[in-house]
Amino acid sequence: MDSVRSWLRRRIDSIQTDQQVRTDGGTASEVSQGERRSGLGRYLDSDAVESAPFWLPSFLLVGLFVYGAIVWNVIISLTDYEGLGDPQYASFDLENYRQMLQETGSYSFTNAFVNTIVLLVAFTLICLAFGLVVAILVDRDIRFENTFRTIYLLPMSLSFVVTAKMWLWMYSSNGGFVNRALGVVGIGPVNFIRNPDPNVQLAAVVFALIWQFSGYAMVVYLAGLRAIPDEHFEAARVDGASIVKMYWRVVIPQLRTATVSASVVLMVFGLKAFDFLRALYGNDTPAVGTDILPTYMVRVAFGDASRIAYGSAVAVVLFALAFSIVLPYLYSEYRRGAL
Amino acid sequence: MAELELDDLTKVFVEDDGNEIVAVDGVDVTVADGEFLVLVGPSGCGKSTTLRMIAGLESITSGELRLAGERINERKPADRNTAMVFQSYALYPHMTVKQNMSFGLEESTDMPAAEIAETVTEAAEMMGIGDLLDRKPGELSGGQQQRVALGRAIVRDPEVFLMDEPLSNLDAKLRSKMRTELQRLQDDLDVTTIYVTHDQTEAMTMGDRIAVLDDGVLQQVGTPLECYHEPANRFVADFIGEPAMNFFEVEVQGDRLLAEDFAYPVSNETLSTVGDRTELSLGIRPEDIELRTEASSPHDFETVVDVVEPTGDENNLYLTFDPDASEPDTFIATTGGMNRIEAGQPIVAHVPEDAIHLFDADTGQAVKNRSLDDAETLGRAV
Repeated sequence: MDSVRSWLRRRIDSIQTDQQVRTDGGTASEVSQGERRSGLGRYLDSDAVESAPFWLPSFLLVGLFVYGAIVWNVIISLTDYEGLGDPQYASFDLENYRQMLQETGSYSFTNAFVNTIVLLVAFTLICLAFGLVVAILVDRDIRFENTFRTIYLLPMSLSFVVTAKMWLWMYSSNGGFVNRALGVVGIGPVNFIRNPDPNVQLAAVVFALIWQFSGYAMVVYLAGLRAIPDEHFEAARVDGASIVKMYWRVVIPQLRTATVSASVVLMVFGLKAFDFLRALYGNDTPAVGTDILPTYMVRVAFGDASRIAYGSAVAVVLFALAFSIVLPYLYSEYRRGAL
Repeated sequence: MAELELDDLTKVFVEDDGNEIVAVDGVDVTVADGEFLVLVGPSGCGKSTTLRMIAGLESITSGELRLAGERINERKPADRNTAMVFQSYALYPHMTVKQNMSFGLEESTDMPAAEIAETVTEAAEMMGIGDLLDRKPGELSGGQQQRVALGRAIVRDPEVFLMDEPLSNLDAKLRSKMRTELQRLQDDLDVTTIYVTHDQTEAMTMGDRIAVLDDGVLQQVGTPLECYHEPANRFVADFIGEPAMNFFEVEVQGDRLLAEDFAYPVSNETLSTVGDRTELSLGIRPEDIELRTEASSPHDFETVVDVVEPTGDENNLYLTFDPDASEPDTFIATTGGMNRIEAGQPIVAHVPEDAIHLFDADTGQAVKNRSLDDAETLGRAV
């Protein structure tokens, strides 16, 4: 109780000191304030300590459950834990990582890794290209612009589970919309989701993801386009550039920032496509050969073999992948002074 | 080089709800080869729209635009042989100065790269930005960006320069410097130039002729001094000149013009130009009001100084007939900067009859402009 009272007194003191500083025109420097206070008092008065009740709880929770879990996961990946009993923390080795590189065939880390990269690159590039084209069209003063913008952006607001179920129907070889449409031109029916060729499955997944996320790319590009002054378009016209040249040489180069931020977000979404695949394939994991890293991770960790430690190692790779996407972005933002 | 004719040029914007807005209403001007024409007027008067129609950025609703006698209404901006300098300069931020200046030539001509580089370097040297060629616009000061924007127009070697308030983003000092530089440049290149500004000082100092626009309608085209001394109507008289001309609403009664606070006797000569009009506006430029200590003629009026604005070389005096009012109506007279005059001091304002302008109160048309006898004598002497 005494300590509370003395703390309160200190607070009142400090408030009064603050007021004195304010009324005398702010000439008192921090040094003179420090001279008046003891070392501990100054420490307790610092902004970090005073604001602790607000940031400390969430800081601790995030630290423990996010970053703590990451660290724990890295540790587990160094053991050979298989989900029974406690992990053996005595013997650390890189056996799991060595195994990853050695595995070959359709049910392997290498295969999942390649699929992930293909999905990331194809998904991101096509999304950006499609989003850019739509953004340019919407930007060219069309009627019902807001309506179009909403229509394109709407899929993004839907949950992965919803869109996956919807695409499952769309892709159905038993009267699904896609197969009916193909049937008109005499193709199919094609079994997209359970096709024996893993590439067809991957393409179907990428296509559905593009449908869902190109609207996001469009909105980011549209904002970028709106930020370019009209005079640049007009100057290019007076300079004699054709419409294509105007966009290619004057407008698109100015969308660099929009491209970078949109691709980072899209790539991260691509990495997280686990829920989409999970919902698309029901409780089963995807057919052999079409794993991407997240589904491969779940398969090895919780599948028949229950190789938890090995799954952790896959998770570490996935984490490193996400980190390698976000880190350069954050660094470049920092360099630009935006962080 | 060519003559540019604006023949009854009209621009009507149709709003979404079907409302029609006439932005430019039948503008008729012929800009001679090599002439520097300044389009001047208040915001929203249609001067920029006129310029944009000439550039091809805005379609022409009616009327004809001719370059060297040839109709160019339907030509694309690139095919009109004009180069435009924008208010914001519109430099492409991702390109270097050199790339910015080359862009137009690369897009609109078949000129080989080496020749483009040579032309650009030459123009850059001329504009004094030769050492900035590899910088990006973001690294340049406002004045340097301005030069790049001009340089970009010059390399195109156009028939007509179009400039949309190119100096308005510069600070006052730099603006007056660039004003001179731009005039010299236009003299050297001898390219027909249309220059849009809302700043009457720029219009007066730079133009061979100025065209005053108000509300989409051309008010007067003439040399700066014509517009200053012989305004076609009250709007031009008010717009050109700083501080602006003083106006008094007067009524003709016998041989006197009766204003709210004074009666101004006029000669028979003046009365005959007035004809049977009864309502007039009397205009007098601040520098034409002579200040005296004692009233000695019927054109002298006793006033009180309300506010003094010293500008150094001269003082702007706000004079009033009604010193007791809390916010008195005032008119402006300028006097030499060495005259020591203080607020509250009584003073006699002499309004010489040969310096007054009379405008029809309804139409605003000039009825009588000041006599230019003095000015012409001075002109011959110089």
